[in-house]
Order: sequence, then C-alpha cells, then structure tokens
Amino acid sequence: MSTSDRGAPPARSPNPPRQSPPLLEIEELRVTFGRTAAVRGASFSLEKGETHCVVGESGCGKSVTALAVMGLLARGARREAARLEFAGQDLRALSERQLSALRGDRMAMIFQEPMTSLNPAYTVGSQMAEVFTRHRGGSRRAALDRAADLLARVGITAPGMRLGQFPHQLSGGLRQRVMIAMALMCDPELLIADEPTTALDVTVQAQILRLLAELQRDLGLGILLITHDLGIVARIADRVSVMYAGEVVESAPTAALFAAPSHPYTRGLLACVPVPGKVKREEALGSIPGMVPRIPPGFTGCAFRDRCDHAAPECAGAVPRQQAGAHEVLCRLPPGWAA
Amino acid sequence: MRQAGLVLGGVIVGIALLCAILAPWIVPHDPFLQNLDNRLAVPFWMEGSNPAHLLGTDQLGRDYLSRLVHGARISMLIGVLTVVASGLIGTTLGVLGGFFGGRVDDAVLFAITCRLAIPVVLVALAVVGLLGSSLTLVILVLGLLLWDRFAVVARSTTMQLRNLDYVAAAWSAGVSTPGILLKEILPNIASHLAVVATLEMALAILLEAALSFLGLGVPPPLPSWGLMIAEGKDYMFFSPWVIFIPGVTLFIVVLGINLLGDGLRDLLGAGDTR
Amino acid sequence: MTPAIEVRGLCRSFRQRGGLLGQDRTVVAVDDVSFTLAGGGVLGVVGESGCGKSTLARIILGLLPPTAGEVLVEGRRLAAMDRRARARLIQPVFQDPFASLNPRRRIRDIVAMPLVAQGDIPARQVADRAAEMLARVGLSAEQAERYPAQLSGGQRQRVAIARALVLRPRIVICDEPTSALDVSVQAQILNLLAELRRELNLTYLFISHNLAVVEHVATEVAVMYLGRIVERATADALFRAPQHPYTKALLASVLTPEPGLGVPDVGLGETLPDPANIPPACRFHPRCPVAEPRCATTTPHAIMTAGGAAECLLLEGAGKP
Repeated sequence: MSTSDRGAPPARSPNPPRQSPPLLEIEELRVTFGRTAAVRGASFSLEKGETHCVVGESGCGKSVTALAVMGLLARGARREAARLEFAGQDLRALSERQLSALRGDRMAMIFQEPMTSLNPAYTVGSQMAEVFTRHRGGSRRAALDRAADLLARVGITAPGMRLGQFPHQLSGGLRQRVMIAMALMCDPELLIADEPTTALDVTVQAQILRLLAELQRDLGLGILLITHDLGIVARIADRVSVMYAGEVVESAPTAALFAAPSHPYTRGLLACVPVPGKVKREEALGSIPGMVPRIPPGFTGCAFRDRCDHAAPECAGAVPRQQAGAHEVLCRLPPGWAA
Repeated sequence: MRQAGLVLGGVIVGIALLCAILAPWIVPHDPFLQNLDNRLAVPFWMEGSNPAHLLGTDQLGRDYLSRLVHGARISMLIGVLTVVASGLIGTTLGVLGGFFGGRVDDAVLFAITCRLAIPVVLVALAVVGLLGSSLTLVILVLGLLLWDRFAVVARSTTMQLRNLDYVAAAWSAGVSTPGILLKEILPNIASHLAVVATLEMALAILLEAALSFLGLGVPPPLPSWGLMIAEGKDYMFFSPWVIFIPGVTLFIVVLGINLLGDGLRDLLGAGDTR
Repeated sequence: MTPAIEVRGLCRSFRQRGGLLGQDRTVVAVDDVSFTLAGGGVLGVVGESGCGKSTLARIILGLLPPTAGEVLVEGRRLAAMDRRARARLIQPVFQDPFASLNPRRRIRDIVAMPLVAQGDIPARQVADRAAEMLARVGLSAEQAERYPAQLSGGQRQRVAIARALVLRPRIVICDEPTSALDVSVQAQILNLLAELRRELNLTYLFISHNLAVVEHVATEVAVMYLGRIVERATADALFRAPQHPYTKALLASVLTPEPGLGVPDVGLGETLPDPANIPPACRFHPRCPVAEPRCATTTPHAIMTAGGAAECLLLEGAGKP
C-alpha cells in the first residue's frame, strides 16, 4: 500500500503556500476554558513520517492540544493560535463541515479507551466501512474488502470473522487494533494517538507500539503521540515536547532529550520513573512535590516555580526560551546547568 | 436554562406546601361553611363576581378558594405520607436485594413482579368498597402499593455500588453489614431515590384525585381536588369553572412536582460526573 | 517462624452465564495457588489482566470465599476469624482512589472508620489516632474536613493508605496502588509506602502490572498466568535471570526510558489468554515463543530454580536432547 493508490480526492490544497510545508505546524496555541488556561502558547511542528511525542502529567494540556488540532474542543473553550496549519492549510479558516471532512480522512485520531469511540450497536465491519464510504464514497463491498485488508495489516488473524463481530466481543488489545485499522481506512497523513496503550497490558502495549512504528515506516504517517510514559517516548519518538501547565517547557530530538534533559520538570519526571535493572530497593525514588497547578489566564512567570528545586525570585518574571540547535528549553537556568 | 424547570417546579411545590401547612390561617372563609343563598357564585374574572369569594362558591355555597387551599392539604398529606411509606418499603427491599443478590434478590424480584401484577386502582376500589372510604385508608393503600419503583431503583443502584472499592474497603475495615448499608450505600443512592420520590408523589396525588372522583377516596365533605371535580361535574355545562379550577390546580401541582424531579435528576446527575 | 501469609491450594472459579442461547461457562480465576510470605517481606504479584491476581487479593482479604484451599494469616485460619479480628491484621489499598473512598463522607470519617468499626475504642482516641495517621501520610487537619472530590488523586491515595494503616495491621494488600496515578505522584506514593513499611514493620502483597514498580518495591515476585503462579523467585533472581518464558516475555515488554532501543518484539502472538478456556497441559504453550510439541501434552511441574521455582517443561528437560 502506498500513497499513490489513494483515490483522487477533489481539490486537495491546490496551491501549497511553500515548498513542502510541515504536516502539522502549531504556533502559540492557546486554549482557555473560562477561568482556566489549559494551553498557553504551545508551539511545535510535525513532519511527514515523523513521530512526535507530547509528554507530561495529567492536567498539563496534552489532550487539549490534540483536541484543539482536531477541532474537537468542548463548547465554551476558546482557541487562539498564531498559526495552526495542517499540510499548509489553515485549520482555523475551515468551516465545521470542512473540518469534519478532514477528520477521519486526512487526519485521524485514536483514543485511550477504544470502547468510547466504537459504537457498541454496530459490527466492526460496518463501522469501518462507514468511515470509508462517508469520506470516499464507493460501494460498501469495496469498503468492507479494504477493512478486511487493514485488519490483516494490523495483525488481526481471521479478519473476515472479526468484521462481523461487535466491539464488546473483542479484547482490549484487539479493540485498539481495530481502532488503528479504522483510523487508517482513508490513508490519513496525520495520526493523533492520545494515550493509545495506557489501558492495555504491557505485552499488548509493546505489540501495539511496534505496529504503529511499522505502519509509520510503511505508510509515511506523521504520528502525534500523547503519553505520560517516558518509556514509550524513549522507544518510539523522533522528537519530544514536554508539556507542563499548558506550555511546552522542553522540546528536543529524543536522543538529545534523554541524554541531556535540561528543564527541571523533565529531570524531575525522569527521576520519578523506576528503571528496571537500575533499581536500588531501599532507595527512595525521585519525586516532584505538589501537583500541576490550575493556571488562570494572564498568569506570568514560570508555572513550575512552586515545585522547582532551583526556583529563584526572577522565575516570577518573563521566562526566556533558550535554544541550542534543535533543543529548546523554557527556563532561566543557563544551558548545561545540570551537567 | 436547565435550571428554569427546577426553579419553576420548586416554586410551585413550595407554594402548594405552604398552602397545605398554613391553610387554616390563610383562607378567607371556613371551607365547610355552606350558604345555600349564594350557590355557584362566579369567580373573579366573570361578570357579577363577589370580591368576598375570589374563586366563587360551589353548589352548596362554600367558598371555592378556601376549599382549593384546603384541598392542597389533602393532596400534599397524601403525597408525602404515601412517599414515606412506599419509600421505606421499596428502599428496604431494593437495597437488600441489590446488596445480597442470590436468593434474597430472587425473592425481592418476585415481590416486585407480584406487585406489578396488581392493578393499583382496582385494589384501591376493592379495599375502599369493602372497608369504606377514609383518608388513612387511602394513604395506606397507596403506600403499600406504590413502592415498586423505589425497589427497582434502589436495587439497581445498590448493585452498582456493591462492587465499588469503597464498599470493599469498609468491609475490610471490619464495618458490620448494617453499617455498610446505612453509611456506605444509602447516602450514595439517596439522590436517585429523591428523584423517584417526586415521581411517586405526583402519581399518588393523581391517584387520590382519581379515587376521590370515583367516590372511593377521601370522604365528603373533605375538600379534596378530585372530590371537588366529582361534585362539580353535574354543573359543568353551566358553570364550567367548578371543575376547571381544581382540574387546572391539580395539573399545575403535578407538573410542578415533575419539573422539580427532572431538575433534581439533572442537577444530581451532573454532580456525579467527575 | 510463622509466615505472615500462608496460602495453601487456593482455587476460585466463577460461573459465567451464557446468555439466552449460550452455555454457562466456568471461569477459573485462581487455580491451585500456594505460597508463603515471611513477615516484613514484599511479595510482588505480576501478570496480565485476567491472570487472577486481583481475585487472589480479594480472597486473601476475605472479600471472596475460595472454592478450595485456605489462607493462614500469622498462623491463624482466615476463614475462622470474624470481620473485626481480620481487619486488625490485614487491610487493603485499592487501585482507583476515585472509587475507593465514599464520596459522601469526610476524610476524617473515612480514616476513622476502621477504628469506629472495632466498637470498643473511645471516641476521643478514635479522633486522635485518625488525625495522627492523616498527619503521618502528609495530609493537613484542614484537608481532613474535606470530601474526597475536593482532593487530587495522589491525596486520595494517601487517604486510602491512612485508612488501611490506622488499625496498625500486620499485612497490607496493595492492589495496583499507583497505576491510576501520574508518574510524579506514583513516586511519592511508592516512597510513602516504603517508609511506612520500614517504620511499622509491615508485610505487603503488592499487585501490579508494572514490572519496573514491582522491581523497585518487592523482595519476592510471583508471576501469574491464567490463575497459576508459573514462576516465583526472589526479586533479585527473577529480574536478573528469569526462567519461565512468560516471565522473560513480560520483562522484555517493559519499555525503559532508554532511547534507541526501539520497541521489543515479545513474540506472544495475537491470541490472548481466556480464563474460561484454559489450554490443556502447559497453559502458556499456545503463546509461548519457545514451545515444543510436548508442551501441548504434558503438564509441567514446579522445578526449583536459582532463587525459587518455575513451572516449565523446558526447565525439566534441561540438558536432555
């Protein structure tokens, strides 16, 4: 399967504004819910064929960022951005109708709990076929054939039988594979995965992540993967953005981030994770005191300063965004402070 | 806007309850005092009305407003007492069945099924026909017959809670079974039961009105709304307001109770989500 | 010395109704499990969902009667104890701190509950001991007046720990106590549990699917597969040299935060274990990457290994062609 066997879609970005724009480009994204600023000026971009992980604790704005990109924010949320582009196309300029034509077609999303996005009343096959016929038309027969191909592609044996089953007849791992297959029905360019393996056993998690990595290599997918698990990040990301309280506090290529984590929050997160083989049983794990604060709109200074060991009075002022090559850190501490 | 129903329902029920409690002190006339010289006086919106009788008088010359306010007393009394009695029966059965499951639950389910097979109106008719009509009897009959929804809701909500970790934690902490039922289960199903209570109260009030209309509810001369409609039906062609006034009142109060119930459900339902 | 927990031949099965036309099925959740755990130790129980580890915990807590076998706590039969005596010996900490606290009770009442349930502790002392325990787990007197919904996940788990320890039990059953928490909070809770264990000389049965966490806290590990303990060893031996192919697969699937290694291929295939349909002979053979034909016909027995025991035919046949 390659991108060339895609059915010719009508009027797809007729004049790209630049030479091959990034698949997803977000600049200064802000999302507020009433008195809470959930995302505060997050910026990152994602190239075709790249896996970008967004990592952080719950309440850091990771999922809200993903929903903001998909245009799926709850009512009452305000979204602003200096730039929010998908393959050069301004997502903010699209109508709800155009957006929903894009969702499930060129960009797809999978969630932590597949049951919430599968309809229990329809068979796997009819749900998968519906996605395809809605966006691409064609016969149901052809759509079902494609669904069977994709189920086989995501490692499901006897796909014909699975097509006729209802979601509740499948195990958690199988459901997540079905979700992935369904997301791939229209050959998306961008796949947003929000904690796709958190509800699964470690053994199944490894299988699902391998599958994602393989699909990406074969299909040239761009994957935006949201997770709280640094182990997953280390193993599959090309680039990592660490989010804290709605901001990207550190962003770097994966190897660089793990080799030299530079934001105190990133270092704190890494210290919290027990690493197999490097465990000393009677030794306490590192931990970050306190919890993620709720930030009101108009907050200034570093949001992490109340939990930070290195906080100083100047942390209440504007925080510099320091850049060394591809490694960006939002902190006043000089580069290499941790060394 | 979802709050509007709750507020409106609350105001209506509040007024009805106030009327019920304060009836003897706020009515302009004795509701039982007959005045055959002033029969079927017209209410205020019609020509020739008497300001002393705002809603006119009935076929025996009794002040209609006073009877209507006293009628609230009967309706509310029946509504509240029926709900207390049926709530006690239904909640006890439902919680026991839902919590213990197995044989106990089978017995409770059988009791619910039996209860559902009993036609409430027919039984009420038979009992009242045999024993004669009285307020106590109406309350007893309704209280003993309207517990099924309490039982069903208490049973299903208890079943959901039974497997929650905080019940397991209470068990492991050595809390006795009655302690678990009273302190861990009941407070957490109370909001669901409150919603059922409003529905049952509305139903009880309607049933009382129906029984009274058939002459098998509260005995005359008590001013029940149903009885007022029954007594007025012979005059409805020439004085339609004699059934119109209690009928509309009944409608508004029952609507108010149901609005309150719906509002409560939305409020409590929304409160349960994390 | 009497072990803190001794479990002998524990079995538990459930009947699952088959619906309108289907047949009833018997689900075997725990199948002939025996072990002992010395006082002060931490036994980590690991395995995939459906392996019976939570059922085992519920049986040991007395929440679920076993179909066969018995549990001895400090040498006394659990089944013969009344609820209050059991509560003084053994207490749980559950996974989901949102579900394990009654939303309608104040924190101080939740923590005081085990003391009140004893029935013979004066009210003054109940309040003092609950307050002391709350302070010990790091909650303020002001937080004690709140309801669970007003606390964060980590704070709720601290409340659950305070409730479990307020009676000064000997044994705490921790059923996935940190898997609903963020990593930074998980670390706080794990550190707290470790401190309390040393301070109060507690014995933990620590159930988790996270092997990295188990390696951090456990002194001994039991690996469960479809209701049986397929390998049991000291933590050091098990993590250094796993013997059973299933243990090896579990360990291989742990994603350590080390970039560049990629995602391992654990080789377990797509079919998942079904406790209602347990394969004959070695129950792991359909998924086992190194299974041999005899694995489908011969039932393995426990073989002594360096730090414990494992049930695998390949270990029995070691050295033979």
